[in-house]
Amino acid sequence: MSNGANSLIDGLVDELEPVKTIKPARGLLVVGGLTLAVMAVVATTLGVRNDLAMGMADEMFFLRSGVLLMLGLATAFAAVNLARPGVGNLNRGWVWALATAALFPLTAAIMSAINMPPVEALRPMEGLKCLAISGLAAFSIGSGLTYWLKQGAPTSPERAGWLVGIASGALGAAAYNIYCPFNDIYYIGLWFTLPVLASAIFGRLVVPKLIRW
Amino acid sequence: MIANEETMRHLMIKAQGGDKQCYSSLLIECEKWLRRYYARKINPSAIDDLVQETLISLHRKRASYDPTKAFLPWLAAIGRYRWIDSLRKIYRHDHDELYEEMVADPQEESVSAKVSLERLLGMIPEKQAEVISMVKIEGLSIAEASAQTGQSESLVKVNIHRGLKKMSALIESE
Repeated sequence: MSNGANSLIDGLVDELEPVKTIKPARGLLVVGGLTLAVMAVVATTLGVRNDLAMGMADEMFFLRSGVLLMLGLATAFAAVNLARPGVGNLNRGWVWALATAALFPLTAAIMSAINMPPVEALRPMEGLKCLAISGLAAFSIGSGLTYWLKQGAPTSPERAGWLVGIASGALGAAAYNIYCPFNDIYYIGLWFTLPVLASAIFGRLVVPKLIRW
Repeated sequence: MIANEETMRHLMIKAQGGDKQCYSSLLIECEKWLRRYYARKINPSAIDDLVQETLISLHRKRASYDPTKAFLPWLAAIGRYRWIDSLRKIYRHDHDELYEEMVADPQEESVSAKVSLERLLGMIPEKQAEVISMVKIEGLSIAEASAQTGQSESLVKVNIHRGLKKMSALIESE
């Protein structure tokens, strides 16, 4: 062994202090806590959908919420597991959740090809509001998840970037979803897909730079 | 002789708890293991630095080891990350400066890492390797590489993209 390696090892041993191992469950708690906090902010500032407030929510609300939460949970689970390298678990379940979520924009696209929807059905003004608020919510959740991930040792920063982006986008949209009163497939296919897509691209571009070690 | 997986795992668990003697033994074993790991990947003159950088990473990220899992795959993942990172730094290095260093002193660190790049370039199709060398290492423009190789400019771009993608995949699968 070289002298350099010897003295380095001595130095590292001197610095040694007990550490608590990183637990992915704590990362999920961070994500869950932030999602609930963002939902609370949406509920108190914007309010909740009337049908939900009256306890008679439309079936599309449940479908949309379920798909977004499942996508967010599956991708967040895969992301937090990247904090511990080399454990041999690929955690590819999120791909199926993403494929399921893609049914909304796919259905909207097929329906649009059959019957071109009127511009009013797309509600551009409300849609942009949906995009902006979902984006802000995603940013809050994604920031917390990125900060938590930075404490670990992610060895695939690009994959982590995609996963953080998709997870925070889906959960951010799920948070806005409790206010959004629209149920038609055109609106959901467009305005609930865009925040997830934008957040995924943002995550891929920004997160790897923040979590490299 | 390098300690086996079970011994290293046991030492790492003790080290996470703050046992300095076990940690010292572990680092000595890891140093030997990493030396052998990198021997097939980089120029021998660059191994010392990379091993030391990896030991520092192991120290900083020791909380990320899951005590219920095998130790060596974790160490290999840390080692591979440091290796890829060292190659990435070379990629991002100013091309002219890299070229000057290669000419000035073939033993320079950046040249050592380039040995790995040359090896990877040898593992992808010739046309892709040729344009990657010209544009990404020698610093030629797309138009110049196109003129020299006879490939159209768009084909040069496609070949660079595909070649880099294959090289990344090769590194990941190492």
